[in-house]
Amino acid sequence: MQIIVFIKQVPDTTEVKLDPKTGNLIREGLASIINPDDRHALEAALELQAAHAARVTVISMGPPQAIDALSEAMGMGADRAILLTDPAFSGADTWATSYTLGKAVETVGEFDLILCGRQAIDGDTAQVGPQLADYLDLPQVSYVYAIESVAAEQLVVKRRLEDGYERVECRLPALLTVIGRMKTPRYPRMGGLLKACRAKALIKVWNAADIGVTTAEVGLEGSLTHVIKTFAPKFERRGEMLSGETADVVQTLVDQLKENRLIAP
Amino acid sequence: MLRSDPERLIRETMARFVDQEVIPIAEELDSKGEFPQALFQQLAEMGVFGIRYPRGQGGAGGNTTLYCIICEELARGLMSLASITAMQCLMGTNFLFHYGSDQMRADYFLPAMRGEKIGCFCMTEPEAGSDLGAITTRATAVDDGYLINGMKTWVTDGPEASFYTVLCQTDPAKRLRGIGYFFVPRDLPGVSLSPRFECLGTRTTPICEVAFKDVLIPNEYRVTPEGRGLSCFLAILAEIRTMTAALGLGLQRGAMDASMQYTKERQAFGKPISKYQLIQSKIARMATNLEASRLMVYNAAAMIDRGEECMKQATMAKYFASEAACSAADECTRIFAGYGYSMEYPAQRYFRDTRFLLSGGGTHEVLQTNIARWEGL
Repeated sequence: MQIIVFIKQVPDTTEVKLDPKTGNLIREGLASIINPDDRHALEAALELQAAHAARVTVISMGPPQAIDALSEAMGMGADRAILLTDPAFSGADTWATSYTLGKAVETVGEFDLILCGRQAIDGDTAQVGPQLADYLDLPQVSYVYAIESVAAEQLVVKRRLEDGYERVECRLPALLTVIGRMKTPRYPRMGGLLKACRAKALIKVWNAADIGVTTAEVGLEGSLTHVIKTFAPKFERRGEMLSGETADVVQTLVDQLKENRLIAP
Repeated sequence: MLRSDPERLIRETMARFVDQEVIPIAEELDSKGEFPQALFQQLAEMGVFGIRYPRGQGGAGGNTTLYCIICEELARGLMSLASITAMQCLMGTNFLFHYGSDQMRADYFLPAMRGEKIGCFCMTEPEAGSDLGAITTRATAVDDGYLINGMKTWVTDGPEASFYTVLCQTDPAKRLRGIGYFFVPRDLPGVSLSPRFECLGTRTTPICEVAFKDVLIPNEYRVTPEGRGLSCFLAILAEIRTMTAALGLGLQRGAMDASMQYTKERQAFGKPISKYQLIQSKIARMATNLEASRLMVYNAAAMIDRGEECMKQATMAKYFASEAACSAADECTRIFAGYGYSMEYPAQRYFRDTRFLLSGGGTHEVLQTNIARWEGL
């Protein structure tokens, strides 16, 4: 069984701060981590690796320093890794990203299952996995939190719903987007991390030419959407002290709450 | 060739482990004072105990620098967990790995790397610490091996250990030339343990006395060659001292982090206490000591990794970083003021745990004497 896992290196924060002048993410002081949902996807793949002798390939698209995320994945037990890095890839929207990842999958060749995290904590779009499935014309199941069984041509998974779960049978090859699960993803092993740092490590670095795309098809140039402006919404508080007779104060408070639709009129 | 920096990778991994798994339960573990079995097992699963041993022989293929990074990060979270780990990585298993037979490595070393067995180091005696020539525990050659008799004290991890590496005298007339290390499984007849010591700090680290009465071991359990006990010990002493310095460095960082957070939160006379110059002076002194300690620790570690003689640098690093840790913990309790006296905050733990650093790897009185001698006095 061949499994491909896509991971993204993201800033270690859920409270993204933007430079008010440039609109760029303030990365100073922020460590980079494997996106949490992607880490769960990788853990799911490694469990299948143990149970079904699966071969796990981890792919990430990003700047050269994203090699650290792949090294960590190798330390966790992945069999091989591929970094997609090229200045041409930068500025990609979700469509251009999905297209680039799809071309990488085609370059890898055979696979049975693709696992992605549901969404990245920096972009929060949850679009790349489903778009990648669409590009590759694969059946997809999103919000998966348990893989119950895997057979030669199908698998059964549980996907989270707002008020419960669905058990879904899906033919292979397929793509799953994975959410946080009961089991905490494993920490990497020291030996695996050090092995990943060696020149002989099974980590490849591919650029645009390696996956057969032109610069016009990927990155900012290949994106269907363009960001006009990025800003952080302002959260401003205004305090108001009410004074006077208690009955009047309460009435004023109730009126204001109704006016602001915080309680039923 | 694009590849990750192993030192950054190991540090970030250990930092995440400490932040997520250790710090949230550090106070609880310390107050219970029990061996941190679950964390110990997690560290084993991460392959931490083999960091300084070669790949393919149960190790991870790392070096002393990486070992020190691990010790530093763990000590930032919980000194006692760091000391337990340090023992398992180095003193508890080193001679077994290098001089034990294949069978001994299979039966004890590899299980120790997996966290299934715990090894520890028996050096100090009630009447002999730094004065190794004064030890009285005897290894007496007999027809089919050695008989071990004597008493060891301050045995870190002793109550939990499966096997001991014991410093013994084979010929009192030879003094230092007669000492050597012997491997003693705990389950042999004649091995007995005292109750666990009640200690001021590093309270999850179990410490006890271990007594040996007519313990018969086979010849192959002599794990340093005859006449080379002292030189084998000296071969790892610089690493022990550098590791101890790394523990001090980690504790300084813990005290510094706690102090920085508190100075920004605590208000006095209408502003955070971080705005007061006397508090800033404490932080500046802590930060400077921390930076100096870091440079000394990783200079000594790099020298060990390059195979260079560095007993002086390692000794200075241990002396400086441990004293700086005492100073940082002291300043931390002062910054926390009344809360520094409370068991609810970590300042008191840093303060108590620093005392562990003052004797492990050599007392500072002995180390200062050594340093002065190396300077020509």
